[in-house]
Amino acid sequence: MISVGVDVGGTFTDLVAVAHDGAVQVSKVLTTPHDRSIAVLQALHESAVPPDQITRFVHGTTVVTNLLLERAGTRVVLLATAGFADVLWLRRQERASLYDLTRDHPAPLVQPGDVISVHERVAPQWGDHGEAPQGVAVLHPLEPAEIERVVQAAIATGAQAFAIVLLHGYAYAAHEAALAHALRTAMPHATVAASHEVLPEIREYERTATTVAEAYARPAVRRYLHTLADALAQRGVTAPRVMTSAGGTLRARDADQHAASLALSGPAGGVTAAAALCRALGLRDALTIDIGGTSADVGLVIDGEPLVERGGEVDGVPIALPRVLVETVAAGGGSIGRIDSGGALHAGPESAGADPGPACYSRGGTRATVTDAHVALGHITAGTWGGAVTISAERAEAAVRTLATALQRTVRETAAALIATADANMARALRRISVERGRDPRDLVLMAFGGGGPLHACGLADMLGMRQVYVPPWAGVLSALGLALAPERREAMASLMQRSDQADASGLHAHRASLAHTLMAPHEAFTVRAWVRARYLGQGHELDVPLHDDDTVDALCTRFGAVHAARFGYELDRAVELVSLRVTCEGTWWPLTFTRPPRTSSTPFDGVDDGSMLEASVPGPCTIRLPDATLRVADGWSARALPSGGWWLERAGEVP
Amino acid sequence: MTDTQNAFDPLAITVFAQGVAMIAEEMGTRLERAAVSPNIRERRDASCAVFDAAGRMIAQAAHIPVHLGAMPESVAVVRARTPAVGDVFLLNDPAHGGSHLPDLTMVEVIGHPVEVERIIGYVAVRAHHADVGGMSPGSMPFGATELVQEGLIIPPVRLERAGESQTDVLALVLANVRTPSERLGDLRAQRAACAAGRDAWRAMVARHGDDWCNAATDALLDYTERRARAHLASLDGVRGHCADVLEGDGVTDGTIAVVAHVQVENGTLFIDLTGSSGAVRGNVNAPIAVARAASLFALRVLLDRDDIPVNEGLARVISLTVPDDCVANAKRPSAVAAGNVELSQRLTDVILQALGDGLASADQDAAALPAQGQGTMNNITIGAPGWTFYETLGGGQGASARAHGPSGVHVGMSNTRNTPVESLEWAYPLRVREYALRRGSGGDGARRGGDGVVRQYEPLVPVVLTLLTERRAVAPRGVHGGDAGRCGINRRDNEILPAKGRWQVSSGVRITIETPGGGGHGAPSQDSA
Repeated sequence: MISVGVDVGGTFTDLVAVAHDGAVQVSKVLTTPHDRSIAVLQALHESAVPPDQITRFVHGTTVVTNLLLERAGTRVVLLATAGFADVLWLRRQERASLYDLTRDHPAPLVQPGDVISVHERVAPQWGDHGEAPQGVAVLHPLEPAEIERVVQAAIATGAQAFAIVLLHGYAYAAHEAALAHALRTAMPHATVAASHEVLPEIREYERTATTVAEAYARPAVRRYLHTLADALAQRGVTAPRVMTSAGGTLRARDADQHAASLALSGPAGGVTAAAALCRALGLRDALTIDIGGTSADVGLVIDGEPLVERGGEVDGVPIALPRVLVETVAAGGGSIGRIDSGGALHAGPESAGADPGPACYSRGGTRATVTDAHVALGHITAGTWGGAVTISAERAEAAVRTLATALQRTVRETAAALIATADANMARALRRISVERGRDPRDLVLMAFGGGGPLHACGLADMLGMRQVYVPPWAGVLSALGLALAPERREAMASLMQRSDQADASGLHAHRASLAHTLMAPHEAFTVRAWVRARYLGQGHELDVPLHDDDTVDALCTRFGAVHAARFGYELDRAVELVSLRVTCEGTWWPLTFTRPPRTSSTPFDGVDDGSMLEASVPGPCTIRLPDATLRVADGWSARALPSGGWWLERAGEVP
Repeated sequence: MTDTQNAFDPLAITVFAQGVAMIAEEMGTRLERAAVSPNIRERRDASCAVFDAAGRMIAQAAHIPVHLGAMPESVAVVRARTPAVGDVFLLNDPAHGGSHLPDLTMVEVIGHPVEVERIIGYVAVRAHHADVGGMSPGSMPFGATELVQEGLIIPPVRLERAGESQTDVLALVLANVRTPSERLGDLRAQRAACAAGRDAWRAMVARHGDDWCNAATDALLDYTERRARAHLASLDGVRGHCADVLEGDGVTDGTIAVVAHVQVENGTLFIDLTGSSGAVRGNVNAPIAVARAASLFALRVLLDRDDIPVNEGLARVISLTVPDDCVANAKRPSAVAAGNVELSQRLTDVILQALGDGLASADQDAAALPAQGQGTMNNITIGAPGWTFYETLGGGQGASARAHGPSGVHVGMSNTRNTPVESLEWAYPLRVREYALRRGSGGDGARRGGDGVVRQYEPLVPVVLTLLTERRAVAPRGVHGGDAGRCGINRRDNEILPAKGRWQVSSGVRITIETPGGGGHGAPSQDSA
């Protein structure tokens, strides 16, 4: 019994195979951009995992992200309520840049002219004397003749993908459903996505953009997943799954109906793994940072789970579905140091990338990067590293010296400042995502991974006043590990739009049960969980509150108040509005049983983590060479090897 | 912490700049997420800033430029009132640190973490409230000629004294507004934002010590000034001039001159509003803080770099001259509600165009400066007993040498988001009949101006409609042979309404606002004609 996770990154495709007994195998191959499934199969081949023992195969895919970035999806025709056909171009009215008045937003996924206006109208029903609405009413019915006209117009476009988004369609699905049915009947092979199926939530711009993205990506996702599933089947691997933006996994055959939910699949794996490792260590809350060559991904684990929120975006396209919160910062090992016209030192946003890479790689790069600064300070030792990389201390120092000369400082001072500058950039993102959610970083553990995470962990922790750092095992391939561990999770959403003083609990629970019913076959013993998205009446920002089995509406509102107070610092004495319901059905996590074998050698620890146990803790400043990264233990910190793998760091004097 | 004894190292400027920008940013997020009214929570008509003990602005998170650099004045008036640690002030008086009355500014006085009586800085949060009383729901009245008509005037008063809530002051404020519970919610959000900023700045001082923070602040402000001057030095000798108008003050329809002379010399941007109209009877006047904000905004656009921080250092490179009797130098008892939103736009228009012309005639690169955009915020207030809805609408941005002008966006001094139609229809007895781009409204040109928008409302109950709009008669200009954008149009059913006014509107009547397009850039090609 082996679970395999494959993470397709921009440069490398990582594979992690976890056996039920905890044995882990890793393989790494170059990503094949023209057909990413090739690298997936290569990685599988290189890993030499016997296919007949693979009981899970989970894939984190950037296929949707890349479609959106490259604007390479299918032509989509939007069907929108008459009078509101420009919703994608009106966006939310703000400009692309506050001060660059010449910049415009990236173009929407729909071409101008590819919108069909639909004559129908639904709206909240106000009383004759201005009494607040309790539901919606049809103002202008969608007549059969209008459906026929719209279907003919749709056929005449020659397009093969359609998105249906009618005003207030989250609260009244019948018009959208009638149109979808008519289109699917008239064009059985076309892709048809309706907003009440994709994202039944208020706010027309975000709902429209998300529904359009679904139609835009669906055909390519289907092709890609089918190709991959066929190729895997030929090798004896069945039933592959993909990770969603929300950190669960879907069977490939289900995923092609949820293309938009894969838009942020890539970075979700790392935080998902981080959460699993936190739980295994008994940690509840952590800030996570995954530092790579060109960027750093920052996330948050709360109560042992990745924080899932709405509000992701890819290249100007909002995807308002639940996603593991990940903020990406343009700072990494390849970030280039530069001095601006005011004499200040910056790290990035320009990056040396993989080619030519940092100066120390001796591949033609001459400008100092953050990695060069680490080499110049001795955090990374010169010599041959894993892969084909050879680190040259001379080149690193020469590059940093160019900056140092301009600044009239020493090489060491300059290198330290360059690292601190990159740290400040990342620390701002770490602080932003935690403090904005009512979490004080000082109460959290910093979990650092990726090739650069262990190098920067102490510096970041010091900037944020954090006293504990966890560097997990397999820090260089944690995203792939997260894929191997993550359970299957199916999701459904429904609009509520009820005031708490008018809602009844039995209705909520029945709603939850019926959504769960649509997600599971009778024999499937999945764990059902539900969240109500709620806000105080009049607020425009919602919070997700868990809905428990025996909840009364009052209990739910009390919990909402507590979550609101934790996040914003106060509660309001007013009714709560229940906006929508989200139900998930979740399978089981793959077991996690890493252990360090006892140290056999009697030779003293020489700064290389060979995977065996080490009883004494290691005081900083020093560096420890990990299998796929370097751990820097700063002055004032000490590190100890954890029996479950990885390292625990703390500032002197504190108890973990 | 170990750094306490360390002196500030100038190599750490970027680290400090990130740290203080993070504080202002956190305050903004806290405010936005906790606010109750759509105007703050969805439209983000708000700004947050951090100041040191000397009242120097260290960082600002401005979602809309009209708040740029306007809050140092708020902190200055608070500092003149012998503040003590734990005091929280509220103000909106244009003569004492305010802009127009709906902008309520909260200032908290921050004490040292150990020597608790000692002031180490201030945080300020300004937010546009949907109603502060006065003659008209929404407090953006038409036809006001005195400030007292526009709403409750709040000189700097203590909402908290040494940490103790002054509930009687709060009660007085809430008794003078039409929607007290919404105001209370928004004030609490402002309070939470202040608290977040206070805690973060206090933690910074606790960690690094006063000397370090003072040295770091000096270095950051000097650095910002240096960067701005370095850019201006390359533009030495540039001079330009632009004259434009506002279309009436709400009392009379006569045009009101708005004039700017600009000049770059010795790394300083000189802006002179001499030639502009004197103070007017209606409410398009603005306190000088608004001209200061427009100048800072123009400077930011001119610098064409988004990595220069916003702090007092930037203000140092501007020399602003405003005549004593000037529409842009309002004093008591002049009314100002519309000046903040509309005069500010015209000030931006004339300063940017004077700079653009000056650059072009000096053969300097003017690519960052577009033709005139819609030049108005299209302020719309709809209300009835018990509720008030206020919003502003985007329009066309001017085209530039780089690109066509963006459509349907806020230009100049505003950047607030729209209210989603679906949210609006649940929250207010209003129906939106149409929300679309106004095609063809952008001026033609080698690069076309952006299009305005069309938004049509149908009240479901009798309402009072107040419009404060501009560019209904004098169109946004094109440049270098580009055509002007189309003027905006206001309608009640088929009747064309003036740019500014107040009307009773029956239920079922349609109110249509068509916003102006932006000016084109360069002569239209023969093919497109």
